[in-house]
Amino acid sequence: MFHYTLMIAIAALSACLVMTAIRFAIGPTLPDRVTSFDLFVANVIGIIAIYAELTDNANYIDVAIILSLFGFLGSISFAYYLMKTSR
Amino acid sequence: MLENIDMLLVKEIISSVFILAGVAFMLIASIGLLRFPDFYIRMSAITKGATLGVGLILCGMGIYFNQPSMLLKVIAIISFTFITAPVAAHVIGRTAVQNRIPFWHKTNTTELQDYLKHTLLEEKVSPDEAADNNHHTPE
Amino acid sequence: MKTFLLHIIIAFVAAYQFFLHLQVLPYNATTASGVFFTVFFLLWPTSLLYHPSYFRKLPKAINLFFFFVKEVLLANLKIAYDIITPNYIMRPAFLALPLTLKDDVGITLLACMISLTPGSLSVDLREDKGVLYVHTLYVKNNELEQMKKFIKHGFERRIIELIT
Repeated sequence: MFHYTLMIAIAALSACLVMTAIRFAIGPTLPDRVTSFDLFVANVIGIIAIYAELTDNANYIDVAIILSLFGFLGSISFAYYLMKTSR
Repeated sequence: MLENIDMLLVKEIISSVFILAGVAFMLIASIGLLRFPDFYIRMSAITKGATLGVGLILCGMGIYFNQPSMLLKVIAIISFTFITAPVAAHVIGRTAVQNRIPFWHKTNTTELQDYLKHTLLEEKVSPDEAADNNHHTPE
Repeated sequence: MKTFLLHIIIAFVAAYQFFLHLQVLPYNATTASGVFFTVFFLLWPTSLLYHPSYFRKLPKAINLFFFFVKEVLLANLKIAYDIITPNYIMRPAFLALPLTLKDDVGITLLACMISLTPGSLSVDLREDKGVLYVHTLYVKNNELEQMKKFIKHGFERRIIELIT
């Protein structure tokens, strides 16, 4: 029963990834794409957490730590680049 | 005997309730990312829903594993996300306002004029300085 | 702040030593956090001797934290309702919020809390640190003053009480 709950959660998060990718493709401006990139990283962190629970392997949580660090770095550097080019 | 069985079941039920709540928040956030009409509305409504969703999923995971080392790592990820998310949102929003991304037509922008006046003054000053520098450097 | 960090470190080391040397309780997350918070709140009344303002500020910090969590959950449910139903009920607005806070740490805390609450986003700070520009949803009937009063009364008053 618990197994099926986790499978449903992973399926829903994959649907989230697809919707975010659509916004990434059609987003009219560049800040829209940076926002959807942010949401993308959050979705992947959620998927990794649920996968670690599904396989009972506690080592995957380190991947989530590193990913949360790099996601922040990525969105900040994109925004900084935008601010530099607008002037 | 009875306590053992109860503990495992209760742990799984609490954990799956947390995970389903977090997944529901993230699903609603990404539907909203597709539906909302304006960049600022998406920005101010969506990314925080995703932050809360990730926090709830990680809480459910920490409850399921029930080890102190796991709990410390989960607390580290949650506090890092909650510190960095508003900083990224602030930087992206400020860049968008300075690039004149258009607002939704129902937005009340009476107090935007005050802000634009300030930034326009800044921009009027800064190209002059840049031009001065350009004039000065060849000499 | 220094006292707070010192108490956290002392409670952490005490909980670690407790589980290393005494096998009284089973070693899992709930008992570990229970021991940690017990030591932490036992250290709190002793601060009356060497740091009396910390004794006064800790309940206010906990009050601010729970108010913040309540606001985040309520605003999330409001936005979820707006996303699921087909018509928009939101009326977004761009506010210039005059600040009475003058402290850098306080302004940072206020801007982060406004950004983390769904439905509002702090966009920019004027250079003399007097006005914070905020983009909000849900301003009923163009009553900008009421929204400003809500933010100032809800978040800023508690932060001022906490910092001074």
